[in-house]
Amino acid sequence: MKKTEKLQDAIGMVGEDLVNEAKEIPKQTKKSKKVKWTAAIAACLALFLVLGAVFLPGWSSVSPKAYALALAQYPDMPDYPGRGNNEAKYEKWADYRRDKRNAYYALDIDLGSFFSATIREFLSDTDGENRVYSPLNVYMALAMTAEFTDGNSREQILSLLGASDIETLRREANTVWNASYVDDGSKKTVLASSLWLNKDVSFKQDTLERAAENYYASSFSGDVTSEEYTKAFRKWLSDQTDGLLDDSIEQLEFSPETVMALATTVNFYARWNTEFKKEKTEEATFHGTSGDKTCDFMYASYDDTYYWGEKFSAISQSFTDGGEMYFILPDEGVSAEELFDNKEAMDFIIGTNRKNNTYIKVNRSIPKFDVASTINLTEGLQNLGVTDIFSFKESDFSPLTDDTAVAVSKATHGARVMIDEEGCKAVAFTMLEYAGSPPPPDDFVDFVLDRPFIFVITSQVGLPLFVGVVNNI
Amino acid sequence: MDDNSILDMFFARDERAIRETSEKFGSACSSLAYNILGNTQDAEEVVSDAYLALWNAIPPEKPQFLCAFICGITRKLALKKLRARTAQKRGGIHGGFDAELSECIPAKESVEEEISAKELSVIIDKFLRSLEKTQRIVFIRRYWYMDPIGDIARKLGFGQSKVKMMLLRTRQKLLSELIKEGIYL
Repeated sequence: MKKTEKLQDAIGMVGEDLVNEAKEIPKQTKKSKKVKWTAAIAACLALFLVLGAVFLPGWSSVSPKAYALALAQYPDMPDYPGRGNNEAKYEKWADYRRDKRNAYYALDIDLGSFFSATIREFLSDTDGENRVYSPLNVYMALAMTAEFTDGNSREQILSLLGASDIETLRREANTVWNASYVDDGSKKTVLASSLWLNKDVSFKQDTLERAAENYYASSFSGDVTSEEYTKAFRKWLSDQTDGLLDDSIEQLEFSPETVMALATTVNFYARWNTEFKKEKTEEATFHGTSGDKTCDFMYASYDDTYYWGEKFSAISQSFTDGGEMYFILPDEGVSAEELFDNKEAMDFIIGTNRKNNTYIKVNRSIPKFDVASTINLTEGLQNLGVTDIFSFKESDFSPLTDDTAVAVSKATHGARVMIDEEGCKAVAFTMLEYAGSPPPPDDFVDFVLDRPFIFVITSQVGLPLFVGVVNNI
Repeated sequence: MDDNSILDMFFARDERAIRETSEKFGSACSSLAYNILGNTQDAEEVVSDAYLALWNAIPPEKPQFLCAFICGITRKLALKKLRARTAQKRGGIHGGFDAELSECIPAKESVEEEISAKELSVIIDKFLRSLEKTQRIVFIRRYWYMDPIGDIARKLGFGQSKVKMMLLRTRQKLLSELIKEGIYL
């Protein structure tokens, strides 16, 4: 038998589903502009990082399947049965969570230096604006970018992420993802990722498969010059962020040179463990950097852990079944941003040291807020030593494609955090005027967030999902 | 009529199953046979033989994709006829398929064992699943359905050169894959 005949026969025996798929040739969308790959036009890897934090019910997710090559299959997590309702179901749910937590603790992953360096880099110099940053989101995006690069480009990312090699990073990122993932009907935290591929570029399948397997990345393929593909991209982002970042998302688009866009999102929704009562909500003044503003303050009073440091005090508000939101109030005369240069405060933010605390009655007064920001990560990442991926001359994206030179052309990070709970009472007086770091009084403490502050939202294993500076409300 | 109803008729040994198959898939089978044989009369004979083979195969077979199944039979019979014809020097496959496919054949290395068509198909199947959907469909249309490049280009709305380039890249990738797997035909 001739060799070509053997090849013909072998092709004839491929799966019938593949043959069926090709039964009809799908009509391709007409291009609005032709993409030409020439040496003169350098191709770009557009890296979009968009995320949202949501504290409202009604989360939904619909992906634009028309362009999907593969949709991420998230782990099947047992539903939260509610406390005391069904012991067996509760045990099953708790076992799952425990296993994921233990897997994370067993690896002894040290992300402290990455978290502190990037929080300082991206949240300092806010010029009095509000700013929100998700360390975990950027971590996942950079980890995936490390998969797509080689040589010095990869080494620079590994160094920033504190991983010795790509295998270690892959294992750690997967464990971090699983330790952060919650979708049990009561609470939702999903680090969603997607790859938007230019259909005219040949990508290395094994690299894409690794992204899907280890980072739960969905992949889509289409014509980057077509309006429909751009709309599908925006819709994916909008769906993942419940439409809360649509103003920023509408600005995002592919360029004809886009090789691939990487989008990662965090959609976080959780209920307070102890809810605020609506009848206690009162208007009070928030003393922002742009001036005073009247807003709703939620009020609650109960025994809880109260933290303090040389230049700050803090409380936490826990979520049902894991995770906390920390509110960090700089001492009078200390700016929120100063705390990022203070080791004790940074250790508190990233969770490596929260030893100065006491259990006491805390009268808490917390403003409702809705803060959003868009950060261009490029300069910050370059300041942190990740430079090669931004340069066509220096970058090495050979694990991704051999078709063309690739560099990261955009690194945008959008985030929004809202807290809005029923009931509270505003207490419009300022306390905590402690010089140095004395412990609080014995009986109770008033904690009033009526001036610029920092917040940290942590996952069930204490990783910072979001860190933000609220200068104005 | 949907595929399951046609299958039910095959299982009930109802001869109307052939007529329904012919109505639904006849043109796909005819054009596939013609693509391979380049001759209407030979193509018609092959399609007729394919219906008989289908009648004998179902039951016990219960294909998930009836169209792919009947086309698969047609393809096999058409290639068989073509090879017999080639042996009698009555002309080989038209359309340049041989030349294109020969680009995917790795040079012989001393140590490798010759692979069977069945084993090779497993590797090609996996390879095809790794491709982007349009690339995969174009490859299957060309080398499974044996479509002329002009037809593929027209249906896709692409220029022929783009389809040729896409096929070239896929063949090169397949060759690399076969070399990587240490395959010798």
